[in-house]
Amino acid sequence: MTSVNPKMKVGTSMVHNRGETFVWHSLRNITLAAGLLLILFPMWLVLINCFKSLEEASQSFFALPQSVNLDNVRELLQSQNYFRYVGNSLLVTCVSMAVVAVFIPLVSYAIARNMHRGYYRFLYVYIMLGLFIPSQIILLPIVKQMSSLKMLNSWGLILLYITFSLTRGVFLFVNYIRALPIEIEEAAQIDGCTVVQTYFRIVLHLIKPMISTLVIMDVLWYWNDFQLPLFLLNRSRDMWTLPLFQYNFKTEYSFDYPMAFTAYIISLLPVLVVYCCCQKYIISGLTAGAVKS
Amino acid sequence: MHKKVLNRDRASFFVITLPALLLYSFFYIYSVVLGFYYSMTDWDGLSRKFNFVWLENYGKILKNKAFFNSVTVTFRYAILMVVFTIVIGVLLAVALNSVKRFKTFFKSVFFFPAMISSVAVALIWDQVFIRALPNLAPLFGVANIASPLGNKQLALYAVLFVNLWQSLAMPTVIFIAGMQSIPDELYESAVIDGASMFDQFRFVTLPYLVPTITVNAILTLKGGITSFDYAKALTGGGPARSTMLIGIKIYIDAFGDTPKFSIANTESVLLFLVIALLSIVQLTISSRSGVNKA
Repeated sequence: MTSVNPKMKVGTSMVHNRGETFVWHSLRNITLAAGLLLILFPMWLVLINCFKSLEEASQSFFALPQSVNLDNVRELLQSQNYFRYVGNSLLVTCVSMAVVAVFIPLVSYAIARNMHRGYYRFLYVYIMLGLFIPSQIILLPIVKQMSSLKMLNSWGLILLYITFSLTRGVFLFVNYIRALPIEIEEAAQIDGCTVVQTYFRIVLHLIKPMISTLVIMDVLWYWNDFQLPLFLLNRSRDMWTLPLFQYNFKTEYSFDYPMAFTAYIISLLPVLVVYCCCQKYIISGLTAGAVKS
Repeated sequence: MHKKVLNRDRASFFVITLPALLLYSFFYIYSVVLGFYYSMTDWDGLSRKFNFVWLENYGKILKNKAFFNSVTVTFRYAILMVVFTIVIGVLLAVALNSVKRFKTFFKSVFFFPAMISSVAVALIWDQVFIRALPNLAPLFGVANIASPLGNKQLALYAVLFVNLWQSLAMPTVIFIAGMQSIPDELYESAVIDGASMFDQFRFVTLPYLVPTITVNAILTLKGGITSFDYAKALTGGGPARSTMLIGIKIYIDAFGDTPKFSIANTESVLLFLVIALLSIVQLTISSRSGVNKA
């Protein structure tokens, strides 16, 4: 008898669950479908309308384009300026990222392996102060500083990205490196490796996963950032990055929205391609970064 | 010999950290100090001469209606953002986590908004509000729907909606990560005990998610209070100051038509104090729970 009872219980709960499971599944599917619609519908509208002329778009905003009309794309790509902005964005993102990817792990390595020394402990706490500081309080004085240094340009922006990447980067790497066993490094040093050799031959290979997380987080930030370029570069048109170009496009081309849509789509394209190729790594990399920091 | 090697290593470690120390001190810490300093002057940001006025600006600000309007708008915005982020984020995470087929597809689509620039998101929605809503009006049986961005009752919510459209992705993924750390046995024994789906959520999932929810709530609150991009690109603070978030107010006061640079700095110092306080709360909570760090 005693062995029947639990089975009965499971049986009844299964029956009871079947109806409930159905309700739950429908609710879930409705939620997901609504989400998909909300995310994809605006993107769809942007996509179809960039193949239309202004006339066609104002007649039928929701309809498919009558033909694949690439005039907008052609016009955009023929204007010299567009490539200048792409170039600016590429320059800023690549240079900042290259420096940060080499520089932050090295600094973190120095801190992580010397935590028993006062200077390094101070440096760690000092850099972590950045956690408490919102960008607004730095941005106003920094504009004045950069303007007196004649650095209201791409190089000034790069320098600031490198500096502002320190807090999160050092936090992630110091904790990661401290969890690694120190014995291999000690063995290498006994064999006569210098600090830098030990780093490049051994530590670098162990921290590769963290480096990819850092690269994903920071590349997305540099490429998409609006606030810092706006404060620093909005007055000098030649130095605009893509987000600034998009922002200023609103005022200049507000009447010709198929053109504006084309500009958005074409600016999104590089990100879209990269995302499609490695969305798995991007999501897991960003999650790792966010959960740890 | 060994001593020499050690000294050499110590020197290289020190040299490695030096550029970081200098850059960080000059562009980060020194800027904050300057910010505090400017907040105690009467500098308009342009003239060559200015005076040190101690705390006069702080007194002025606390009597200023426009400032209090911004504070109210900002807090309403930030608190709504936290509520929506937690509720929708948890629901989406539960839904996404239970999907068996097309899991990667769903996850990629729901994460997609986090990939694009905030300006592009804002401007796309701006166009959708302007162009698509009038076309959708017949569906709802009305003659016309104007963009909510032009309506001073609705503009803040429209900006918030666009902000959430993009910013929900990250907390959702963090919630999913939090759910995956819940041991399966708990659900199995809950099912044996006859727990319904809702009971499982209420008594297993939710208690385990509390630390994640807390951290996400504080991060979102900080994000909401310092929000800038969406309101700047969508409304610029209008109409009738209804979307004048504190970040926008600081920008306009510092670089607008009638610059009040020192006042803008005073506002950003106050903002800094709020954010610093929230960060301390966040660190205390997360070190106590031990689940998430910093």
